[in-house]
Amino acid sequence: MAVTTQLTWMQEKSLQNCLGGKQFTLLYKASVHGFSSENLLEKCSNQGPTVTVIYGEDYVIGAYMQGSYYRDNKASVTFFAFQRTEISEFEIRIFNTRTDNNKIKERRFGSGEIYYGYHDLQINLNDRNVTMDRTTSKKFALHKSHISFQECEVFRCEDSLDKRRIEDVTLLRKSLFSDMRTYNPCGGLVHQTRILLLGPSGAGKSSFINSVKSVFRGHVTNQAVVDFGTKQFRTYSIKDGETGNSLQFVLCDSMGLGEKKEGLCTDDIFYILKGHVPDRYQFNSIKPITSSHLNYIDSPWLKDRIHCVVFVLDVNSVENLSHEMVAKIKRAQRDVIKCGVVHMALLTHVDDLHLIMKADLINPYGCMPVKLKLEEVHRKLGFPLSNILVVSNYTSEWELNLIKDVLILSTLRQILWAADDFLEDVPAEETFGGSEA
Amino acid sequence: MAVVTNLTWNQERSLQKLFGCVSFSLLYKASVHDSSIYTMLQRCTHQGSTITLIYTDENVFGAFILGHYPQMGEEFENPNSSFFFLLKSGNKERSEISTFVFNRAPEIIKKKLSFCFHNSEFFFLMPESKRVFIHPQLADKKFKCHGYSTYLDCEVFRVEGIKDDLSYIRRITGVTQRRQRLLAELSTYKPTTCLTPEIRILLLGPIGSGKSTFINSVKSVFQGRIIRQAIAGSDITSITEQYRIYSIKYGEDGISLPFMLCDSMGLDEREGEGLCMDDIFYILEGCIPDRYQFNPRKPITSSHSGFITSPSLKERIHCVAYVLDANSINNLSSQMVKKFKRVQEKVLQCGIGYVVLLTKVNNWDEILQDDFLNMNRSTAYQSQIICVSKKLTIPIPNILMVDNYASEREMKPLKDVVILSVLRQMLRITDDFLEDLPLQ
Ligand SMILES: Nc1nc2c(ncn2[C@@H]2O[C@H](COP(=O)(O)OP(=O)(O)OP(=O)(O)O)[C@@H](O)[C@H]2O)c(=O)[nH]1
Ligand SMILES: Nc1nc2c(ncn2[C@@H]2O[C@H](COP(=O)(O)OP(=O)(O)O)[C@@H](O)[C@H]2O)c(=O)[nH]1
Ligand SMILES: [Mg+2]
Ligand SMILES: [Mg+2]
Repeated sequence: MAVTTQLTWMQEKSLQNCLGGKQFTLLYKASVHGFSSENLLEKCSNQGPTVTVIYGEDYVIGAYMQGSYYRDNKASVTFFAFQRTEISEFEIRIFNTRTDNNKIKERRFGSGEIYYGYHDLQINLNDRNVTMDRTTSKKFALHKSHISFQECEVFRCEDSLDKRRIEDVTLLRKSLFSDMRTYNPCGGLVHQTRILLLGPSGAGKSSFINSVKSVFRGHVTNQAVVDFGTKQFRTYSIKDGETGNSLQFVLCDSMGLGEKKEGLCTDDIFYILKGHVPDRYQFNSIKPITSSHLNYIDSPWLKDRIHCVVFVLDVNSVENLSHEMVAKIKRAQRDVIKCGVVHMALLTHVDDLHLIMKADLINPYGCMPVKLKLEEVHRKLGFPLSNILVVSNYTSEWELNLIKDVLILSTLRQILWAADDFLEDVPAEETFGGSEA
Repeated sequence: MAVVTNLTWNQERSLQKLFGCVSFSLLYKASVHDSSIYTMLQRCTHQGSTITLIYTDENVFGAFILGHYPQMGEEFENPNSSFFFLLKSGNKERSEISTFVFNRAPEIIKKKLSFCFHNSEFFFLMPESKRVFIHPQLADKKFKCHGYSTYLDCEVFRVEGIKDDLSYIRRITGVTQRRQRLLAELSTYKPTTCLTPEIRILLLGPIGSGKSTFINSVKSVFQGRIIRQAIAGSDITSITEQYRIYSIKYGEDGISLPFMLCDSMGLDEREGEGLCMDDIFYILEGCIPDRYQFNPRKPITSSHSGFITSPSLKERIHCVAYVLDANSINNLSSQMVKKFKRVQEKVLQCGIGYVVLLTKVNNWDEILQDDFLNMNRSTAYQSQIICVSKKLTIPIPNILMVDNYASEREMKPLKDVVILSVLRQMLRITDDFLEDLPLQ
């Protein structure tokens, strides 16, 4: 029999979050290791803080202990109960055992029994039942003080952002930084790679540009105007705060796509891709740029063109995209495909997703809620899963933080790689004049 | 002291990569839990498959044990259930790992956990005295870790999410070497015939069957990172609208290999939609230029500016790969089958090589049996293979299976091996057909 937990992903995650961002390691599972307190102690003593979970027929209850089993008999205990066992609807109730010291927190291990508090709660593994006093059962919102169970599991709890992980992520940031600093466009065809951000207004296009700028500046900046709605075509070169040099890529901000007539005129997309649209061009929702415009770039070179397109979406909006918006995005995708440019999707606001904690941003793609969103974008808009990236922008904080930096940088790296794939494939006759000027 | 592993994140990720997307649960740590063998066994028995890690001053190494941890005086039923591994640090992003498979069951004799190869002890540890022995044959030349040494710490993890059959061990320990060998073979590949210096493989199939993604996958394997050059995606009409001839570049210097993959528009079961039959025939003959924009309603004519009127043998298609989603074989419409058969008629007539490539195979790691060759013995897809073979009258050995790099952002060695094996098979089949080519 496999030693795997009976908790669903959502249950485990919620519990971890409730306990303040913990990570669980399953140490003991009664049905595999035997229903006795000796067996439990063999596996769980001296493991540091633990969570014990009891699976009753209708209830899942448990206790979090600050100290180790066996050794720290006086550490505090937190009880919790899953109100319903269905994934979507449970609620976790948490309460500490009475706070006055010593006498209450003492735990004893009788023959086959584990006591929490004085008589607060008592687990009898041999008989597979739990007994608790009236106050405890009331707090659990249970109607009885005696419940039987089929399974008991004990997990060790660790901080999900411990020193080791911080150190390792710091190293990762360093290596990503140096990759981006030394990045140069594939084949030296152009001096700077141009990335275009498209998407509904408010999706986080400008915020992503600010985030990238901030990471390289070394402090949070707000240069690309956020919230007021971008009306101009703006190209942003990024300065490396350490050396003062410009990095070899440019991020292009566009007006957001609107539901109906408002927003970016979709005919403009083709002109932007081909490099006809100058920096600071004032968009007009009703009609696209014409060659008579003052700064219209008549015969753009490869360096003026877009080398990769990123469709930016708010991760929370993907279920609610209107038909009009989906149609607009699909049309834009076709324009991009016509130009042979690689395109990706970028989902912002992952930090806002239900159950996602800071530590999850180290590897967001492994998290269930993120996976579900990727699937949804894949289904609705047809992006291959590997072309969908996620990010959490710097929007409300003043200080940079390591984990956001790493996510922003690794996302940027994927985007630049995609641009390189395009550049490598540009037909020879179109590469002329790219790197000069 | 907290029960926290000494592994760095990179080391942990490298191990996870070796074991194939698993998670590790730390059960025992000698420096916290005391180093007696009894404590160690108490904590590690009945936990499923484990790895036991040893840290010395300079190295990290250990052993994987499939199934359960050995117990005092217990006979083990599975003789080939463990292997040794050594983490070679250095590389900042990933540590390389070398492995060695034992052919006798691990045992606990006299407070010693011991691993044998034939009749000699190759690796053992004595928890009480924190001593470890490594046979010189296990040690890497660069790493002076053989002989006896004292270790700093010992940790045991449960390994979760693996298939606990014996072929698993052979698969994961063989993968690095296998991948290396296939890469070496294919990067020096030359067509056996002197008729053409390079080989062109055309990918043909329904919309969204994974043609463009297969090209990206092959390119990725040779470049060592996910490549997104051929535009992929899903829509009701084909994402690929141009005829594209992709060369495959290898390694840092980007040398082009002598085989090319040609991407085409998806086939539609409706007439007048998707790739035209006439265009296919022109492609086979080599008349259609790279980047030609297909028109589903109007095939190319010889008056088109790029039309290649007298293509050389080099410019022709040498192998056709019919690309099909392995999960929708049963839904293959009769119109689609008819289209395939018309192409196949021409293919046979011209003596062009052909294969069927089934994509989106879910349990792709099972295609790789012990010796990596039994592509078609995967039980789960047996019925699909027979079905395709019947529907399209293609012999079973010409049916290949793959799972593309479609949802990942990082490379997976095992996937590389599947993709390379498929590519090699395509090239072998092409070579056979080219040798047989009627001289015209
Ligand atoms: N899971 C999985 N998905 C795949 C595989 N191959 C392709 N896909 C996905 O299937 C979708 C279509 O893939 P494409 O490579 O664009 O298909 P195509 O045959 O080129 O399609 P058209 O060019 O539109 O005719 C994409 O979303 C891919 O990510 C595979 O082996 N496994
Ligand atoms: N929490 C959170 N908020 C974000 C994120 N990205 C953008 N925002 C907010 O979303 C709003 C719209 O962003 P903006 O960049 O102006 O969108 P644009 O119209 O696409 O340029 C702003 O209020 C941002 O602060 C993110 O990753 N997380
Ligand atoms: Mg904006
Ligand atoms: Mg395609």
